[in-house]
Amino acid sequence: MGGDSDVGQPPLKRQKLSKPSHKTPCEGSRTGVAATGSAALMARSICSNDGETVGSHGQIRKVEFVRIIEQALFSLGYQQAGAVLEEESGIRLQSPAVQQFREDILAGRWDECVATLSEIGVLEESTYKAALFLVLQQKFLESLEASNTTAALETLRSEISPLGVSTSKVHQLASFIVCFPEDLLAKAQWKGAGQESRQSLLEELQQLLPPSIMVPERRLEHLIEVALQVQREACVYHNTLDHVLSLYSDHRCSRDQIPTRTLQVVEGDSLKVKYKFTGHSKPVSFVAWSPDDTMLLTCGNEEVVKLWDISTGQCKYTYDKPNSCFTSCAWFPDGKRFVSGGGDKCIYMWDLEGHELEAWKGARMPRINDLAITTDGSHMVSICDHKNIRIYNLEEKTERVIEEEKPITSLSVSKNGRYLLVNLVSQEIHLWDISAATKDLPKKYRGHKQGRYVIRSCFGGTDYAFIVSGSEDSQVYIWHRWNGELLDVLSGHSGTVNSVSWNPVNPHMFASASDDHTIRIWGLSNRPMPKKHDEKPGSSNGFDHLVNGGTRDLLENLRPFNSDTD
Amino acid sequence: MGRLYLIQLDGRIYSCRNCRSHLAQCDELVSKSFHCRHGKAYLFNTVVNVSVGPLEDRMMTTGKHTVADIFCNSCQQVVGWKYEVAFEKSQKYKEGKFILERAKMVDGDGSDSFPISDGDDE
Repeated sequence: MGGDSDVGQPPLKRQKLSKPSHKTPCEGSRTGVAATGSAALMARSICSNDGETVGSHGQIRKVEFVRIIEQALFSLGYQQAGAVLEEESGIRLQSPAVQQFREDILAGRWDECVATLSEIGVLEESTYKAALFLVLQQKFLESLEASNTTAALETLRSEISPLGVSTSKVHQLASFIVCFPEDLLAKAQWKGAGQESRQSLLEELQQLLPPSIMVPERRLEHLIEVALQVQREACVYHNTLDHVLSLYSDHRCSRDQIPTRTLQVVEGDSLKVKYKFTGHSKPVSFVAWSPDDTMLLTCGNEEVVKLWDISTGQCKYTYDKPNSCFTSCAWFPDGKRFVSGGGDKCIYMWDLEGHELEAWKGARMPRINDLAITTDGSHMVSICDHKNIRIYNLEEKTERVIEEEKPITSLSVSKNGRYLLVNLVSQEIHLWDISAATKDLPKKYRGHKQGRYVIRSCFGGTDYAFIVSGSEDSQVYIWHRWNGELLDVLSGHSGTVNSVSWNPVNPHMFASASDDHTIRIWGLSNRPMPKKHDEKPGSSNGFDHLVNGGTRDLLENLRPFNSDTD
Repeated sequence: MGRLYLIQLDGRIYSCRNCRSHLAQCDELVSKSFHCRHGKAYLFNTVVNVSVGPLEDRMMTTGKHTVADIFCNSCQQVVGWKYEVAFEKSQKYKEGKFILERAKMVDGDGSDSFPISDGDDE
């Protein structure tokens, strides 16, 4: 957004108006009205001096300001109010010539239009011709529809072709002559003679002609929306689901929009164990829920992959390869296939029946440390040889490699599939854009501690504006994604926080899992504690998602799930 | 505990005798002729899967140095030390490099299949 973030004063960038100004005696007083869309001006005669400005910074030209207010009034339907404003201020929204022009277009008086076009102010040659072409084209099409072929032909010959605008279009118009009127509408993509097509012609002309002659539609609304957008982006703690911001005051979320308070501490034995999945011989190091939440994939630490059915608790299939040392797996969004990769330097794609669909292997394949698939299924991201991020485009079968300097411990992708987050052993978190050019530097987030363990981080909040990560100093760190500022450090855990997971439907809740054998649910500090059963869609999805990221340690700490842990 | 992050190395490597986590590659070996209290020690350019302890000044056979003990990430055992500062000019080459005690390492992944020929004594 190009404007400066002047609160409430969106700068207008338009050319200076060249109109005859009324020479009434100036009272020398400025209005100083803040641009917040208020429709009524003070009832005073105001000098319409071209150079006069309103606003505390003197950046808004009064004439332009009044005109867009008039336009807003007219478009809201307040014709009388608009007319009164024009009279009182002496500033007309449109010159009489333009007014006439508009009426002529809507009424279909084409010859008058052509005449007026040359009168309505200074136009560049090309603009004039283009506008003329549009008007004449409408005239041509309307005559054709009325089956008045001779008149149409006459227009084409004597008026349109001499313009010298786009001969290909002229040829196209000529070809319409031989069409039937019924096909004409389809071929020309034209709505047919009448108010609708004339209105759209008017809009096209509006875009073509310089804005000082015809003010673009809904200009004031657009300016305000832009200002609101700037405020929203500048709001560091912005985390609400509301889309409509108030105009009365600048939008600034306070710090309590981020979850900072522990709502719940879940100890190992307070969770009701639904099933015990036994069968892995090595500690379970990776867990992935299927996109429809009916199945679970578990990966041993350099071991086989097992697929479990949640409703029955049975292992549906064990995926094995000779020397299997799978370390991670990722589901495709259709929930029917998944990929797995590991230390044996191959990535396999499997279906749910145990068939191998595809394999990426070979002498040049590196050791895979982590895998993820973007939510739209277009890219497969893998961490290879500890330091390389390989982004593989599954449709085009092309690859892009990002090399990091320090080893990467974990990977996560954002829900919109555009960004990926990696935690590095050097205590930094890097945010990369999947689609951007490789040369761009990533955004970096620092402050947390990491060195020995796999620490996971994730995106959070509405618009994924926050990055949250665990840390070896038992705290949870939250950064603002865009400016990298460390927003908050949450204490509460008494052991390394290994994994965090933000609730995908409730932007005010996330969970963290730690070496102190507990899971904490974090929420807003001024909200009452939510009851577990009331927020069904929120908390149950939250828990599912929690399990995806956090259960790794949940599973390792809850002995029933596995036969041997550390 | 949490899931340990261990780096896997390729090629000829040295591992921790206790837990077999990889420590260093043969390519990174600088010298075999060092000694410590427990016997021989090797000097490496880089090592992996270790964490560095607090700095302290020590008097060694070659002079005063500032060193920090290094611990295996997996089993927390002391496996050697890192040279931070060397006070004598002739010893400056050691700065930033790591010593791994021979007694705490095994060759390869633990198969002990490569016989070690020790270098000259310092």
